[in-house]
Amino acid sequence: MFELFRYDGRNRIKGSIYLTIGMALLAGIIIWVYPSFSDAFGEDDLLEAYPDQLLQLFDIQTMASLEGFLAFEFYVFGWIILLGLYFAYSAASIIADDVDRGRIDSLLAMPVSRTRLLAERFAALIVPIGMVNLLIPPVVLIGAQLIDEPLSVPDIFAVHLLSIPYLFACAGIGILFSVIFDRVSIAQRVALGVTFALFLIESLVTDTDYELIGAIAPMRYYDPNEILLESTYDPFGPVILVVMTVGLVVVSQFWFARKDL
Amino acid sequence: MAAIKLDGLTKDYGEVLANDDLSLTVESGEVFGYLGPNGAGKTTTIRMLLGFIKPTAGTAYVLGTDVRDRRALVDAKEKIGYLSDEPGFDEQATGREILDLHASVKGDKRSDHLLQLFDPPLERKIRDYSRGNVQKLGLVTTFMHEPNLVILDEPTSGLDPLMKQKFTEFLRSERDRGVTIFFSSHILSEVQRLCDRVGIIRRGQLVTVDPVQNLLRRSGKAVRIDSAEPIPMSTLDIDGVHAIETGDSNGDTLESGDTFTQCAFTYTGDINELVTILPESDLLDVSIEEAPLEDVFMRFYGDDSDV
Repeated sequence: MFELFRYDGRNRIKGSIYLTIGMALLAGIIIWVYPSFSDAFGEDDLLEAYPDQLLQLFDIQTMASLEGFLAFEFYVFGWIILLGLYFAYSAASIIADDVDRGRIDSLLAMPVSRTRLLAERFAALIVPIGMVNLLIPPVVLIGAQLIDEPLSVPDIFAVHLLSIPYLFACAGIGILFSVIFDRVSIAQRVALGVTFALFLIESLVTDTDYELIGAIAPMRYYDPNEILLESTYDPFGPVILVVMTVGLVVVSQFWFARKDL
Repeated sequence: MAAIKLDGLTKDYGEVLANDDLSLTVESGEVFGYLGPNGAGKTTTIRMLLGFIKPTAGTAYVLGTDVRDRRALVDAKEKIGYLSDEPGFDEQATGREILDLHASVKGDKRSDHLLQLFDPPLERKIRDYSRGNVQKLGLVTTFMHEPNLVILDEPTSGLDPLMKQKFTEFLRSERDRGVTIFFSSHILSEVQRLCDRVGIIRRGQLVTVDPVQNLLRRSGKAVRIDSAEPIPMSTLDIDGVHAIETGDSNGDTLESGDTFTQCAFTYTGDINELVTILPESDLLDVSIEEAPLEDVFMRFYGDDSDV
């Protein structure tokens, strides 16, 4: 057991390091520009000039504190959108790439069930998801210290810890399309499109009569603003995200086990 | 117990009937050649045997396991080696990493021996492998866990002649150890050398299943006649003459004509009768030889309607 998990996990280490470096640079730049930004913003005066729709789309609460600035610039944009899309895209290739390139026969010639192959390779995403969430918090905390805007240590760790089920749920969207489509490029594009569409839907239906529709979007269950600005952690959000992830993986397994390759 | 049993195995893609009601049995310890031109449905059969695609009707059994039973088939694969027609491995990995993965999943009883024999460049990444090297690595992964049944789809494609020779010798030694070998091919000489029995598939249908010897017997003789004087075409108007090619003394092929001086044909009738029809005129040369299996094969899948 877990041979495929170990193999895939090892293969993902290098990419995870690059991903972490990229996100660390993004965090560094955002923290670095904050002081000059906050001078210009004053008490959110500038925010009032932004269209309401934009504020709603990116769930921008305040830019008058480093927490608010980070919540929008780094966590909504960098984590929810960028990483969410990245993991949906990455997971979309897990099965489809091997099918597309004719490598699946060599893998499944081994005494390995398709459900196990899928589960272990999906689980190997813990390497990038874990690494980026383990190494970025110190970068953010130290960066904040350097510009004399210390942040709450528990809040920063919480915002990262609670993003793990969110990112897995996005990956779950990817893996589903990875088994539906045999062409990896299509699987990846559809996974990106659907994930971004879910983000838009959830952002735009908030506080409208159609709010219920947003319930299918993973983005509803992970709110960096709430964590960073109010220090409140919603205990149900992660549970729903885990259920969503498990559901997506089980449906993908069911589909994959029965399809012709 | 039969190592492989096809029982009305059918794969209907709607627009194409890739496998049409195939039934055959491969006994344990047998070397079975599965012959057919490209697109005949060989790979479809093989991929159903491994559970990659589902039969639309009928079924097949490998080592007694119904291929429709997904869980049991996974267990059966501990004892099955498979080499696909285009083996693909993770391009980013080295040969060594691929072998380690296979060893960890299904065990490794003799990769050292196999590596001596086939010798793929293990430290190199797969993306730098030639087609032949991928094939060599594929052969190692196919045999490393000492399978009882080996299913090979066009196993010699990509191998150079020396490696083909080594591979043939290796398959013989595997057969002597009692391994059942099922392999598809369109290269008849290797089938002739290796197989006990041969199944020929054409357009999804099993044309014949025969011991190689029977096939050779049925294949008839290749006859060549070279005459100083023209011989009337009607002389050859007897049963068992197929695929006549005639020419004149300049060696030019004639499309048609009443007479010939040179002629080659396949003869499946009684050899005595053939001798009696030969004219008493001045013959320069007559040869009667075993027909090459290529010709037999051509008659099974060529557009020749004689068979």
